[in-house]
Amino acid sequence: MRRVFFEGTTVDDLKAYMGPFAERLGYKFNTEIEFVDEVLESELVVLERDGDVYCPCRVRVGDPKEDLKIVCPCIPFYLDEFAALRKCWCGLFIREDVEDGADLIGVIEQPEPGTQVDVPVCLVEDLQPGTARHVKVGKVDLAVVRVGEEVFALSNVCRHAFAPLDEGFVDGYALVCPWHGWRYDVRDGTTDHPNADVRTFPAMIRNGEVLVTVPLGRAR
Amino acid sequence: MKIHLYGLSTCPYCRMTKRYLDDHGITYDMTEVDLLDGDEKQAAIDEVKRLSNGTSFPVLVADDEVIVGFNKTKMADILGI
Repeated sequence: MRRVFFEGTTVDDLKAYMGPFAERLGYKFNTEIEFVDEVLESELVVLERDGDVYCPCRVRVGDPKEDLKIVCPCIPFYLDEFAALRKCWCGLFIREDVEDGADLIGVIEQPEPGTQVDVPVCLVEDLQPGTARHVKVGKVDLAVVRVGEEVFALSNVCRHAFAPLDEGFVDGYALVCPWHGWRYDVRDGTTDHPNADVRTFPAMIRNGEVLVTVPLGRAR
Repeated sequence: MKIHLYGLSTCPYCRMTKRYLDDHGITYDMTEVDLLDGDEKQAAIDEVKRLSNGTSFPVLVADDEVIVGFNKTKMADILGI
């Protein structure tokens, strides 16, 4: 849905925009309706004062690129951390599989660095067999590849000339670079060229979603 | 015990924390960081980053102890409530 804010934007307007956006990422509004409304009311205050729906629990630092990361819902920028927490920082959004979000409100605990987290990156239906797509987890660009009913994740950057591998094509278990045809085995990231293998990450399909396992913190 | 609360005027957790402290008769100083300007604001942000390793709010400092977020259990423990 297109993000349009205007004078008189309401909590319901924010819900209508944010709900489907978060849903695509495997999140939903907290089950504590009053809390949700309170947070969104605060976001409207921030919107009027600062011009966008920055998180009311975090402060703008004055760097537009950094401040962009706290525009609600900020889920895409913190996929790995939120997967570990099962909520966004403030608890406005919780993972789809959380039944009662009350316990996830309040404490802001940073997950232990190095924790392995399964990060939902896309729906299976959005990744057809024999195709690849680009996803970003933390600061890492990944190519997620589907071969039949198997999925794989590897660095999206070709080691030859830094081409985006997702723009190439899938040939069996090979992801072929779009620029010069280097072939990467999606199962282990190896290629025929010396010292040019790329990093791979475990990937799986669960409940209609593609998940990639990344070490929290080190993936950044 | 010297207690200082760093918060934002728009933050629900900061409001909850203030309410909790007030309800228990705890006295504290408070800085509402988003209402500051210029160097004063930057100094407060830097201090919050130093204390909490981030820019999450509220940040409650009780002597040497730091509590990030609205955490009743920790507050009760540290403040002797």
